[in-house]
Amino acid sequence: MVATPTEVPLGHDKTVSRRAWDYTRRHPTVVIGLGLLLLMVVITLLAPVIAADPLFMNPIDRLRAPQEGMIFGTDMYGRDIFSRTIYGSRISLTVGISVAVLSTVVGLAIGLIAGYNRPFDAIVMRIMDGIMAIPAILLAIALVSLAGASIQNVIIAISIPEIPRVVRLVRSVVLTIREQPYVEAAISVGTNFWKILWRHILPNTVAPLIVQATYVCASAMILEAILSFLGAGTPPEIPTWGNIIAEGRTYFQRAPWIIFFPGLFLAITVLAVNILGDGLRDNLDPRVARRM
Amino acid sequence: MSDAAEIMDTPAPDAATERPIIEIDDLRTYFYTRDGVVRAVDGVSFKVHRGETVCVVGESGCGKSVTAMSVLRLIPEPPGRIVSGAITFDGRDLLGLREEEMRDVRGNDISMIFQEPMTSLNPVLTVGRQIAESVVLHQGLGKKEAADKAVEMLDLVGIPEPVRRAREYPHQLSGGMRQRVMIAMALSCNPQVLIADEPTTALDVTIQAQILNLMLDLKQRLGTAIIMITHDLGVVAEVAQRVVVMYAGRKVEEAPVEELFARPMHAYTYGLMGSVPRLNVALENTGERERLQEIPGTVPSLREDIVGCAFAPRCAFATDHCRAERPELEEKRPGHVVACWESERVRAAHG
Amino acid sequence: MYAYIVRRILATIPVMGVVAVFVFLLLHLTPGDPATVIAGDYARPEDIVRIREQLGLNDPLYIQFGNWLWRLFQGDMGISIFSNLPVTHLIQQRLEPTIMMALTTIIIAIAIAVPLGVLAAWKQGTWVDRAVMVFAVLGFSVPIFVVAYAMIWGFSIKLKWLPVQGYTPIGEGLIPFLRNIIMPAVALGMVYVALIARITRASVMEVLNEDYIRTARAKGLASTTILIRHALKNAAVPIVTIIGIGIALLIGGVVVTESVFNIPGLGRLTVDAILRRDYPIIQGLILVFSGVYVLVNLLIDISYTFLDPRIRY
Repeated sequence: MVATPTEVPLGHDKTVSRRAWDYTRRHPTVVIGLGLLLLMVVITLLAPVIAADPLFMNPIDRLRAPQEGMIFGTDMYGRDIFSRTIYGSRISLTVGISVAVLSTVVGLAIGLIAGYNRPFDAIVMRIMDGIMAIPAILLAIALVSLAGASIQNVIIAISIPEIPRVVRLVRSVVLTIREQPYVEAAISVGTNFWKILWRHILPNTVAPLIVQATYVCASAMILEAILSFLGAGTPPEIPTWGNIIAEGRTYFQRAPWIIFFPGLFLAITVLAVNILGDGLRDNLDPRVARRM
Repeated sequence: MSDAAEIMDTPAPDAATERPIIEIDDLRTYFYTRDGVVRAVDGVSFKVHRGETVCVVGESGCGKSVTAMSVLRLIPEPPGRIVSGAITFDGRDLLGLREEEMRDVRGNDISMIFQEPMTSLNPVLTVGRQIAESVVLHQGLGKKEAADKAVEMLDLVGIPEPVRRAREYPHQLSGGMRQRVMIAMALSCNPQVLIADEPTTALDVTIQAQILNLMLDLKQRLGTAIIMITHDLGVVAEVAQRVVVMYAGRKVEEAPVEELFARPMHAYTYGLMGSVPRLNVALENTGERERLQEIPGTVPSLREDIVGCAFAPRCAFATDHCRAERPELEEKRPGHVVACWESERVRAAHG
Repeated sequence: MYAYIVRRILATIPVMGVVAVFVFLLLHLTPGDPATVIAGDYARPEDIVRIREQLGLNDPLYIQFGNWLWRLFQGDMGISIFSNLPVTHLIQQRLEPTIMMALTTIIIAIAIAVPLGVLAAWKQGTWVDRAVMVFAVLGFSVPIFVVAYAMIWGFSIKLKWLPVQGYTPIGEGLIPFLRNIIMPAVALGMVYVALIARITRASVMEVLNEDYIRTARAKGLASTTILIRHALKNAAVPIVTIIGIGIALLIGGVVVTESVFNIPGLGRLTVDAILRRDYPIIQGLILVFSGVYVLVNLLIDISYTFLDPRIRY
């Protein structure tokens, strides 16, 4: 080890920034994805500061093209698209994260039990196969239209078609881990079920579940926008990206910016989450990643 | 068995009068990895004459397989690259050929069989098709004639019911049969050189003997030269006419087989043999083949510059001279070259 | 092989059974009186009574399910609440545009995605590979309607090359059909292309490391022959599998695409039915779409026997 004397006092700072840089170089996708996502979160949190009232109508400034003072233009009621888009990110992120958490928690619980209990497994997996056979969009819009339009119902309706994917993943991890010699040994000496679950199974499911959750989050944000766009999602008075786009459809030829900006934000956000997911997956154990 | 003995006794063609079919001259094949340059083959030269069997021996990681792959230019590039040297086949410089010309050589003039018969055949094509594929490509036969040729080849390598077997898939055949298929495929275009990379390592001991005898038999009938890559001295004793011993990417010793077994001059070769070579025993008793004796220590990393003799750290004979200066190859007896400072002591120890 | 096929066919029965139960229960799972939910916010009491009657909602649940299933087996999916026409009739009417659009999309998508994936795998680590992967991530991330409106803005409004929306049956000429279908097909196919290209790349890359590829090279085969005859054929099972699974994305996308491009197919029927809470139509459509998904995946499972001799024997 040859170290120049000047390196010693700076050692600590250097290792932190150096490590961050090394990580960035090795996994640029994770950092880019995370960065974009953080930017979105900051924008969302700062909405009350940087954006005006998204519901304020100003009939004089109807369908204005992007210009100074209204950088994203205005819609048919003279509402500011910039403010609406910024506020729309709240709904999108809320739905995306809520669905990811909800479907992961429920899927984890079902998957753990299914991986452990043979008879239950047979029944549950048939039900999961059935749900997976129903196209997600169809299932979600049917559920929302019947349960009534609200953000809460949208979250539940989008979570249901995502759950089987989580269950399958968790189950396959459980089945693999169970066959590991150390777990078999633990079972054979009569270790408590919950102990095995907590010590051996759960830690192994965490990494693939995080990756899966990012993918679920991305697909949930798209689904939410599609539901709003089709008029079967969040109530139309709430400015979500899907709702803004749905309202802009009629005026598309005259005012394409109404659709363009929320569409762009949606695409960038989903892209960020997907890139993050891909980057995290590349860090995973390849045997686990293959199942995803 | 008798075939093997006969070939052993056949004198090697006169090297002075005849042009070698393969001549490898100062071959260097490096791999450029993230952790540095691996000098897998670092200046290897040897010749193979028509109809001759040359064994290349060494522990895994010594560069013998990379040498074999380099001859057919099958080194994955990147990360690998043939950095310098020459490989001449029948007077043609293989390294100078364009890729299309090289494809014409592969499987036609020079063919290769690999260590893993279980995975070296394509699982989704029938074995007949896989043999016929070469024939169609290199001999321009039609589909029908090629299929007949495939059956003929399967028959030649001793597969019973060749017509039925030709229509089967690799997973329906046993390991020994698959290696026979590989041999049939390799020989289907009457190559002048067959490179066999540990063709029997993955097989049962009894099957190993069958496959070796088959190769020797076919070699005699078809006059193919064989470069056999192996780490099994029993195989060497059985099939080789000449032996090239490799260590850490270099040739350390080369001699006719009997000379080598009688008078090993490199400490590494001596180590490989472990005890007194039982050449004749090995021949008679093919079921119980000699395995390489374990040599203490490990093969050096080919990423670092090696000062002195690469084998010195593991060598019982090593002196300060060995650790300081690399020995060059030197012809100590007719046809017997060695790169070892202490060859006299090694020879004495062996005697 | 026949045992395998029979086993696969039998395995679809519980799946469709679960779908049927789910579809049936959808209405009952939601809070409140189903008849009131269907009738909507402005219904008169007599409307609710009529709907309850029509759907047999006064019977016990299992009898309702039995009756519903029995009628289903006879090809009766019920009567539309809004138009009073049989659901099967309404679905048949709207079938053609959706099938044509889906087929066009699948053909275009496979024709683009598979070569792209093979190319990326072959040129692994080069800019070609990276470009394909970037395209794949974009395909996953940009929602259908964003792609659709971007194309309409570019090709229809600015360049005026293609009609903004609408559908022309293929019977009225191939060119008008294609002019209308091309943008919907591309918008719909983006995710699908991304998905297939990604899996193709991954599985071809894995196969290219196999020993038999080295054998094929040692035979003197050309790269293209190796890629197509040896690599792609071995990578076929995961590729075909993802083509089947991706059908689910396609079906979901149909709903959005038909909405954007105003194509009178099943997707539009779905949206209309949902906005009007025409429950029998929604039930029928979910059954049909799920049935198509299950059927396609059954066919794909059976196709394995042609693709992989190890399954055949």
